[in-house]
Amino acid sequence: MAGLAGCSGGGGGGDGGNELELLHAWSSGDGNAAIEALIEGFQEEHPDVEFAEEPVNGAARSNLDQVVLNKLQANDPPSTFQTWPGKTLEKFDGAFEDIEGDVWDEDLKENYLAGPQEQAQYDGSYVTVPLNIHRINNLFYNTAVVEAAGVDPESLSSASDVVDACATIDAETDAVPFAHQTSGAWSTGQLWETILLGQAGIDGYEAFINGNGDREQVESALDAVVDLTEYYPGDSSSISFTEANTMVMDGDAAFIHQGDWAAGAYGNEDGFNYGEDWAQVPYPGTGGNYLLNMDSFPYMANNPSPEATQQFLSYCGSAEGQVLFNEKKGSIPPRSDADVSSLNNFQQDQFEEFNAADNQPPSVQHGLAISPDIATNIGNAFSGFLESNDAAETAEALINAFN
Amino acid sequence: MRNPFTLLKRRWSDSRKARTDGGTTSQAGSILDRDLVRSAPFWLPPFLLVGLFIYGAIIWNIVLSLTDFQGLGSPDYSALDVENYVIAFFGGTPSWSELTVSPIWNSAWNTVVLMVSFSVVCLGLGLVLAILVDQEIRFENTFRTIYLLPMSLSFVVTAKFWLYLYNVETGLVNIFLGAVGLGPVEIVQNPDLKLAAVAFALIWQFSGYAMIVYLAGLRAIPTGHFEAARVDGASTIRMYWRIIIPQLRTATVSALVVLTVFSLKAFDFLFSMYGGYQPGPSADILATRMVREAYANGNWAYGSAIAVLLFVMALAIVAPYIYTQYQRGEL
Repeated sequence: MAGLAGCSGGGGGGDGGNELELLHAWSSGDGNAAIEALIEGFQEEHPDVEFAEEPVNGAARSNLDQVVLNKLQANDPPSTFQTWPGKTLEKFDGAFEDIEGDVWDEDLKENYLAGPQEQAQYDGSYVTVPLNIHRINNLFYNTAVVEAAGVDPESLSSASDVVDACATIDAETDAVPFAHQTSGAWSTGQLWETILLGQAGIDGYEAFINGNGDREQVESALDAVVDLTEYYPGDSSSISFTEANTMVMDGDAAFIHQGDWAAGAYGNEDGFNYGEDWAQVPYPGTGGNYLLNMDSFPYMANNPSPEATQQFLSYCGSAEGQVLFNEKKGSIPPRSDADVSSLNNFQQDQFEEFNAADNQPPSVQHGLAISPDIATNIGNAFSGFLESNDAAETAEALINAFN
Repeated sequence: MRNPFTLLKRRWSDSRKARTDGGTTSQAGSILDRDLVRSAPFWLPPFLLVGLFIYGAIIWNIVLSLTDFQGLGSPDYSALDVENYVIAFFGGTPSWSELTVSPIWNSAWNTVVLMVSFSVVCLGLGLVLAILVDQEIRFENTFRTIYLLPMSLSFVVTAKFWLYLYNVETGLVNIFLGAVGLGPVEIVQNPDLKLAAVAFALIWQFSGYAMIVYLAGLRAIPTGHFEAARVDGASTIRMYWRIIIPQLRTATVSALVVLTVFSLKAFDFLFSMYGGYQPGPSADILATRMVREAYANGNWAYGSAIAVLLFVMALAIVAPYIYTQYQRGEL
């Protein structure tokens, strides 16, 4: 089927019907359940719209981007596809169309908070609709382990407090203090940006993502990461995020810093309950901030199904669609008026914190805050950091990533 | 693998010979009757397809590397220059970017180190295995299969497999190192061992292939050579070193070419071991760098330039082989 589509692609799609071509990388797990729920909800309202839904398999997003770029080069854009909003959109420069008024009406503008609303824009025009929000600055912990060590995570107020707490846990229990993986660089990248946000504050963080970062602040956050390496699992370089997260669930580790997708696994584990067996605090020092990672669906220029795409994006921007999606995905709806009573307790708490947050800064590691080529430079810096643990050298590379 | 050009040449000269012998058919008839023309339906389609999709694509890629193609849109072929190669060798800020682009020396060096160490060790190990298996031992077929089996696995499988083996706490490699008193060692993210660890895993996977090639070479040597050496009183080592191994030259060269090509494909291995195309500076090879530039950054022209350099490196290794084969008339 895909082969056939490829052969006739040059023809330009023909009848321009109402078939909506939707590309995404949620081919399995909770992501797949979430997109299915969203599409099902949409089709109940719009039974006339046909879907040519194509999950693009492979290493999450990078492969999907490649497929979309190839289609755009061939002048055969999809109706919409799963993408991070914000600066990531630069990769597809010129491929989007302004949907202010049509999709981004007054209702959406009223109900999206400033942070997500800013990320939906490219060059000042609204081009994409954020569908969900994952928080990056979480510290999850296994309640039994921290209690056994006499540590109260609620009382920690800075990154160095976390290091001290790890030392106590190391001394008092057999558990690994800080579950973390270092075979890939992304976990360390997001840990560093979280610590930077805590130490340098929102101003320092925003200065960095705008290319005016303070070298000392950058290096000091890296030093805090180096301090934590001592408390990683001994085999952190051979494990994946899933294995690190399982250590927390099994009581073999106390803390893990992760986006709130980590909590998705906790919810599926019997006898591991929110508030009793595990809990979460904003990473110490970052209270009042909701560090954003989002997925969104943009409106493509030269759209093969203009009307259907607008209908679908409006549905993605509706509270109903977002709740259906996030119920399964484990993230929270970006709309502050969403009725979250059908989400789980943890999601409800996160939603409350989101609405009360002073700032909703975009994530560096997850492509919202910086353009793709800078993101590659930062990724290079962290893949080097994993080898050397050299804070000074990495700080230099991070500052130079913008030049 | 027969070169279509040689085939063509032979066909032409055949028909020419026939003409000087005094062909009586008319000129028009002779063109249609020629072997070359009559066999065209069989060789022409694959010839054109290979020409277009292999050689055409290579040429297109070279042209692309001379443009400034970046991001979306279509490349501008009107202004060609070698800027991308200058950037690749010396670094700097190219006209198509606002950011400084670093030169490729680090990944080029890693590529060469990986290619050479992997190929040489693989050949050595393959030769030793082949000689051992050739001693008419019992269960010879079983051993042969065991040695060859890893080659049937994909890089994705072996990368994950070796990630387990290199685990500091539970990996077999570290348990072994612990047993001989070298203590558990961080391997996967250790800048001094990373590339060696990758090479080691690839050697494990492909030395069986070298063994098979050598085994075929050994079997082709007449028993008389072994017997003559024995009669003249040569020791086993001397016999192999002076008589047998020199006769394995062709096998060595053909195995070397294939192994080199495999080492260029280490991209898959690094990709699954480090969960992406950023394996870190000490294991970064040209292939990972190329994919980063092209697909993460959208620097298509610069990615093409790196691809051309990689192609030239591969050609530099394969060309002498093709040339000697050509000189010996085996092509």
